[in-house]
Amino acid sequence: MTDISVHRPGLRSWAEMLTCELKMVVRDTAGLIVPIGLPMLILVMNASAAGEQAVANGRTALDVYVLPLVFTMVVATTGIVNMPSFLAYYRRSGILRRLAVTPASPAMVLIAQVAVGMLQTGLGIAAAWILAMVAFGAKPPVNAGAAIGILALSTATMYAVGMIVAALAPTPNSAVAIGLSLFFALGALGGMFGGRSGLPDVVATVGAWLPFGASVQAMSAAWVGASVQPAHLIGLVVSLLLGGVVAAACFRWD
Amino acid sequence: MPGTSLAVEADGLHKRYRSKVAVDEVSLSIPAGEIFGILGRNGAGKTTTVELVAGLRRPDRGTVRVLGLDAQRDRARLRQLLGVQLQESHLHAALTVAELVRLYGTFYRDPLDSGELIESVGLTGSRDVRFQNLSGGQQQRLSIALALVGRPRVVILDELTTGLDPEARRQMWSTVESLRDDGVTVLLVSHAMEEVERLCDRVALLDAGRVVALDSPSGLVRRAGFAQRVTFLAAEPVPKRLLEGLDGVERVRADGGRVVVEGRGDLLQVVSVALVRAGIVVTETRGEHATLDDAFVALTGRHLDNERHDHERQDDDKEALR
Repeated sequence: MTDISVHRPGLRSWAEMLTCELKMVVRDTAGLIVPIGLPMLILVMNASAAGEQAVANGRTALDVYVLPLVFTMVVATTGIVNMPSFLAYYRRSGILRRLAVTPASPAMVLIAQVAVGMLQTGLGIAAAWILAMVAFGAKPPVNAGAAIGILALSTATMYAVGMIVAALAPTPNSAVAIGLSLFFALGALGGMFGGRSGLPDVVATVGAWLPFGASVQAMSAAWVGASVQPAHLIGLVVSLLLGGVVAAACFRWD
Repeated sequence: MPGTSLAVEADGLHKRYRSKVAVDEVSLSIPAGEIFGILGRNGAGKTTTVELVAGLRRPDRGTVRVLGLDAQRDRARLRQLLGVQLQESHLHAALTVAELVRLYGTFYRDPLDSGELIESVGLTGSRDVRFQNLSGGQQQRLSIALALVGRPRVVILDELTTGLDPEARRQMWSTVESLRDDGVTVLLVSHAMEEVERLCDRVALLDAGRVVALDSPSGLVRRAGFAQRVTFLAAEPVPKRLLEGLDGVERVRADGGRVVVEGRGDLLQVVSVALVRAGIVVTETRGEHATLDDAFVALTGRHLDNERHDHERQDDDKEALR
């Protein structure tokens, strides 16, 4: 018998898989508009007014309120809307099943998708940040380390929430529908459509605990140089763990 | 090592989906280098059988060994040696032929050259076309290329030529024949008799999840119970006695004006001469060799091809009304 040792796809395979996922995302033009275009729109619409409202520590409302909101939107749309719709499409179309009969694990697709999503998030955030600095004179966070940490935690949390959507959605269409509804619901409760002061107290409190609101609030605090409230961090971590558990229990490859 | 000359060894496979038994006590022993056909009607359990062999599904009972490896426990090692073309499987819609062949090639230790492979399935002109823009036949050919890219020792092809035009079909057949030359074992699922008769060394006939016969194509044809068949339409009743005594005639059936004579030897000649001598005018005379379909009817009481069967029954009904 010929030698039949286990041979796992190597680095070249990972690189190729990443390139292919990237091409898939780039060629899906509609999928690029929401995570990059929508936050930019919100930024442009609010920047000039907010840029003149000083808050504290030399930071304006643009820095303290608008940018945390815009960054959270980029992270949330990629994690909650785009990633699950890609995964649901892969599952539905039989791509994961086809990969299951090759030496590649379907998990490769998942990891490559997450990596490409991170790249997309990074691009969206960089684009918004450059635009805000160059066109509207935005300033970096007072507590930059905390802001970056919170952004990373928010990204992980949004992906975990996205995995719940991917695990529960029966079809690619429903994944987009569930993902978008969830994004808008979390966004509305988290202050995406104007301040949360207009919301009933209970709703506003819950909204601040949910991933979107918690991310905006925590990042806002880091930006202005205030201490980040533990409640917001706990909110993010609880959602992250919950998402991980639900996804692990319910996710199917086919 | 004993047993390793067998490429595929399935023993007592049983698979049930809810209330329906899809595969029932199927056992197969396929020596290395053989082209083995699995033939049957839609829903006979062909696809489930090969999915069990590929390790895509877990049998309720029974075991599968491919190249001596357990299809479930040794999946990781087996994946390098097994190429699979699934029925109705889809690929990344926005990737091109060349991108997909390159991607799938990286999964394997020693992949084929992607340019040559694309050429061999006739897709060179479409190498930069996205999967979603390929025709059904082109998608099928790409799917076959991906099954072969890792230089597999065993290949499973599920409905190899469905959706292909005659020329592409012949091209695929010669691809399979060249696999045979390389000593690759092929498990070919089909309901196209011509394909099976041309390519397969042995064929398992599946019906309702069971293997009802396993033989070479010619051996199976012999089970039809006759070698040749002559049919004709007669304007007046033909006395059975006239034909039954003839040399080589084994069976005569008359159904209205249509007469079917089964037997062996130079049957068409013998029957024609006898009819002319008796002064009986006949039309639509047709002489045929027995086919796998005749064997299938003899073994299961039904035609292999559902549609054709329904068609013929309708014709028979019309005839009965006249």
